[in-house]
Amino acid sequence: MSLLGIAWRSIRQRLFTSGLTALSLALGVALVVATLVIGGVVRDAFASGQGLGYNLIVGAKGSPLQLVLNSVYLVSKPIENISWRFYQEFLPAEARPDGVAGRYAGSVAKAVPICMGDYFRSFRVVGTNAAYFDTLTVGDGRPFGFAAGRNFRDDEFFGGVLGSTVATKLGLAVGDHFSPTHGADDGLVHDPFTVTGILARTDTPVDRGVYVNMEGFYLQEGHAKPVPEGEGGDEAGAEAGKERDLSPAGGNPAPLPFNQREVTAILVQTASPGGMPPELLAMGLKTAINEDRDGQAAEPVREIRTLLDLFVRPLELLLLLVTTLVVIVSAIGILVSMVGSALERSRDVAVMRALGARRSHVLTAVLLEAIILAVGGGLVGWLLGHGIVAAIGPLITTNAGVSAGFFSAAPLGEALLVPFLVGLAILSALLPALAAYRTDVAKWL
Amino acid sequence: MPEPVIRLENVRKSFAMPGGERVDILDVPGFVLAAGEQAALEGSSGSGKSTLLHVISGIMRPDSGLVEVAGTDITRLPEGQRDRLRADTLGLVFQQFNLLPGFTALENVLVAMSFASGKPDRNRATALLEAVGLAHRLHHKPAELSIGQQQRVAVARALANRPRAILADEPTASVDAAHQQQVVDLLKNTCTEHGVALLVVTHDPDVARQFPRRLKLEEFNRAGRHKV
Repeated sequence: MSLLGIAWRSIRQRLFTSGLTALSLALGVALVVATLVIGGVVRDAFASGQGLGYNLIVGAKGSPLQLVLNSVYLVSKPIENISWRFYQEFLPAEARPDGVAGRYAGSVAKAVPICMGDYFRSFRVVGTNAAYFDTLTVGDGRPFGFAAGRNFRDDEFFGGVLGSTVATKLGLAVGDHFSPTHGADDGLVHDPFTVTGILARTDTPVDRGVYVNMEGFYLQEGHAKPVPEGEGGDEAGAEAGKERDLSPAGGNPAPLPFNQREVTAILVQTASPGGMPPELLAMGLKTAINEDRDGQAAEPVREIRTLLDLFVRPLELLLLLVTTLVVIVSAIGILVSMVGSALERSRDVAVMRALGARRSHVLTAVLLEAIILAVGGGLVGWLLGHGIVAAIGPLITTNAGVSAGFFSAAPLGEALLVPFLVGLAILSALLPALAAYRTDVAKWL
Repeated sequence: MPEPVIRLENVRKSFAMPGGERVDILDVPGFVLAAGEQAALEGSSGSGKSTLLHVISGIMRPDSGLVEVAGTDITRLPEGQRDRLRADTLGLVFQQFNLLPGFTALENVLVAMSFASGKPDRNRATALLEAVGLAHRLHHKPAELSIGQQQRVAVARALANRPRAILADEPTASVDAAHQQQVVDLLKNTCTEHGVALLVVTHDPDVARQFPRRLKLEEFNRAGRHKV
């Protein structure tokens, strides 16, 4: 019988104690893994706010962080809407009905409007135009990809694109119809939109978004800004709710008049005239907008960095501190358990020594036992940690707007900390192993 | 005259008492157990019987003197080599049987084999247990065996590595009168069958008188007559 076999027998003999020891370690490892993974996922998700194809977000005056969280990460509430007229100030002459360039147009390479406030079964609905997926990027400059179908066209008023998580969770496919609700899950049910495309997974908040053509969005009840009598515009809004065919273009009704429109935010990429970095223009544009009374401009990267520095990093440090304490407590638990086990097995060790086992044999057998428990407990804990992440993933998604699942990982942290914890557990077995090594054979026989 | 398996010369062993005083436990001028010989060593409680067995088996090193096992003076060997020699040449049977509780009967024999020079031989372990009448109890743990069956496992384990001698420390002390004779017969017959020398330490005269050679420890252990 090998020493490994002897160690395994010893574990089975003290199955309950051994099980508790391994469980204690497993829980420690699970907490470490869950902390690392969730911390990493949150950090990565917020870091993905870079390279999205825009460097400014323009919205109503208020908290710039709230503006960023709502517009980029689809969490928190919109501050307020900004006027269509203000939005027009970012458009070039050819995109405006009056043929005059907006006052900010010279500094802007692209400006994509978004309208928010609707939901589809707990997922945020974003009204926008085709430029969102045609000109913006996933992050690091990667263009959006479609797992199925295509982007909606601007003339498909009732076309919509679903994030991968939405499509998977709700079982929707290209050609299916969905009806957003106004303001909340149980709000007024709007007209149905048709899915023209499903985005490839991006591992960003976009996965949880429902994107509809803003022309169709505007036509829904409650979305038209009230205007004073005599300024007209009721006609188009009045068509909402009428019977129509359900193709994306669906016999487009008359669009909502401009004077009844608002947008929640504008995603702006500043221009880079003569190869100048767009950030240079962004600074000036941001100042100009913020001095204006119509709205504010926020830099998503700066806001997120502030969020990370002020909240996420300290929280992460706190979690790591707690995790470290958990690790130490786990190691002490293993030490106590192994010492108890060593005392319990003193007679067995003495018998084995009398049968001819060398001191190195019993030392190795005890260490092997610890290795089996530590590696087994570590493995179970590692799986359990990912299970915890999967279990609370929906909660994280709801509260932080970040996708986290079983396969989310913090490769570097896990590769370093899990073996460290297992090693610590094995190290803690050195004491009982030495006790076995020093067992007084004659005393126990 | 067969060659000696165990030979002691001027072996002395003392222990330090809590007060710092040293007490002589063993002072044996000479003792020999020949190959295949069966002997009983009688002694009262505290007379040094167990210490003598521990010294012979190399578990304890004497303060002085020669302890030769199978021709090797084990007092000159480092501990690891004494352990190996013990596993290879001696079989031990304890008063409490001292079977490993987490291991089956078969595994108890295999464990003993794993510390010797050879490789554990499952067939031999099985054969030894079958020879002591435990063919149907190979995979039972000690707690599932009767006292008599446990003692038979202990004997099979002692024979596991083809020892030159078996040292039995009060093997009948924890069994009832009905089983005492069975234990003695088992040890004697098994050792005869395998050609193994047998030294049984006992305080029971009824057990001692069943052996062809009967020694009284007090007669050749001079310890206790003086203090060092």
